[in-house]
Amino acid sequence: MDGMGKGTVTPLASLFPVEESQKAAKRVQDTIAEKEKELDHLRVFIADNNNLINLVQKLPEELHHDIMVPFGKAAFFPGRLIHTNEFLVLLGEGYYADRTSKQTIEVLRRRGKSLESQVNSLEAIIKDHKAEASFFIATASEAAGGLVEIREDYVEENPSKQDLKSGPLKQDVSGLAGAERETTSVDDKEFARMMARLDELEEEERAAERGNLDDENEGAISDFDEISYQRPSDNNLQNSEDIQRRMALKQTNDIATKFPKEHKYQDDMADHFGSLALQSQVRELSEGKTMAKNLKNSDASEMSTIYPEEKIVHATNTSKAEVQYQASRPSDDSQKCYQQASTSSTVGHADHTQRNSRKEDSTSSQVGCQTSEPSFDSRRAFTGSIIEHAENLPKTSGEQNSSSSLVSGSQPSKPVSRFKMQRR
Amino acid sequence: MDRLRQEKILKFEEFVDQRLKPDLVRAIAERDKVFEQQKIFSDLRRNIENLEKSSVTSLKTLVNIGSEVYLQAEVPDTQHIFVDIGLGFHVEFTWSEALNYITQREERLKRQLEEYTQLIASIKAQIKLVYEGIRELLQLPAEKPFPERTF
Repeated sequence: MDGMGKGTVTPLASLFPVEESQKAAKRVQDTIAEKEKELDHLRVFIADNNNLINLVQKLPEELHHDIMVPFGKAAFFPGRLIHTNEFLVLLGEGYYADRTSKQTIEVLRRRGKSLESQVNSLEAIIKDHKAEASFFIATASEAAGGLVEIREDYVEENPSKQDLKSGPLKQDVSGLAGAERETTSVDDKEFARMMARLDELEEEERAAERGNLDDENEGAISDFDEISYQRPSDNNLQNSEDIQRRMALKQTNDIATKFPKEHKYQDDMADHFGSLALQSQVRELSEGKTMAKNLKNSDASEMSTIYPEEKIVHATNTSKAEVQYQASRPSDDSQKCYQQASTSSTVGHADHTQRNSRKEDSTSSQVGCQTSEPSFDSRRAFTGSIIEHAENLPKTSGEQNSSSSLVSGSQPSKPVSRFKMQRR
Repeated sequence: MDRLRQEKILKFEEFVDQRLKPDLVRAIAERDKVFEQQKIFSDLRRNIENLEKSSVTSLKTLVNIGSEVYLQAEVPDTQHIFVDIGLGFHVEFTWSEALNYITQREERLKRQLEEYTQLIASIKAQIKLVYEGIRELLQLPAEKPFPERTF
């Protein structure tokens, strides 16, 4: 449909001028040099401290030592150290304490430790700066090499789809949302989608607790679930907690990554599935980073999709009822797309088989869902597909993200009926 | 002609920036060092005079052995004092000898200080002179469109 040939091509040099990036790199390298000087300073301190520890250790071995006692800066008296086991140690802020040799050594060791921690932090900072500098240099060289950024809008499909066939569907939605539909229907949809996903997750968790661990992947995931979610299944409480967490996560994601929605859901998944999905998330993020760095296929209009999501924060308490509705509805029919969303009715074994079947046709049906419905439903379906990928093929999720729009474009009309059925 | 003048101005400015200003900075740093020396010796002189006044023969003091760790030290005989005479040499003096040396040293430091002050003043004067020259070069051909320079 669309998604093909919709994009802008910007030379990287226009976004990051070569000289500017080189300047930035130079500045970062200057800071690195500065920090390294500081580091040398600290290293000198540490060496001095170690010498002093040795000295303090040796001094009490004799009763007194002949030394030249300094008298001012330019003069000495011949004299000797007495009371060689009594040291006056600065504690800080002008306070001194009488310590023995051993105690002094302890004090000095502690000082050495703090110095070492300073060195470590400084080294970490330098490492950071070096990474930054290398990034700047890479950017500069890429810009100089005439690299081009290709932006392709993924979300632009949604409005066109809505135009195409959302006449009756819209009415349905309005029937659901009632009076709020004009202002908050989108938000409610988002919220409902979130709740549905939460219920999916809970359902999975429950299934996992029942111990249906035939499938390898599912077994692993349910393990994670059991570990991370041994909470009482008070749905509302859990939901609200999850939502809050999700809000925080989402906002951080919005600010920090500005990533496609798929990525965001991946993040959510990571939150829920623990380390397994976390790995995929990391991979995802790194992929995304390289994407952003090379600027090959990142979506320009993610920004626009982010805003409605943020509105959810304000609209959370508007549509609990609808949420319940949305969440429970999927279990009635159209299980292919929404089995996971079923709240509590699905029993372990059934759920399991359903899931297996769902896995098989997940790509096709969900892609179809995505294309066939207005933005809200397509996103939800898309979320489902992302869950699939997090479970089954975390490695390929990034590619799936990038290619999904094309796939959806290719199968526009097939699963409409299923969704409409579900609507009624 | 204009080109020649411009080159001259450039040369002058280079001279000021590359030569005179670093010289000035160096001279001021040297003078600060001398100031410090002066302070050290005046302190020493005051201390010795105090010792003389109270006729101390032995004293106890705390020695900093590094990192603000102090150890008690004892000087059994304060009659002999070793004074730094420069270049890492220390000479054993009695108090009167030490005071004598310190006076001479202080005088010398004062002379050095004056020298440095002179030097600094002359460098500043040279800088001013060169700037004045540049200004003259710029002002004489007032009708010629020269790039505006800020000093």
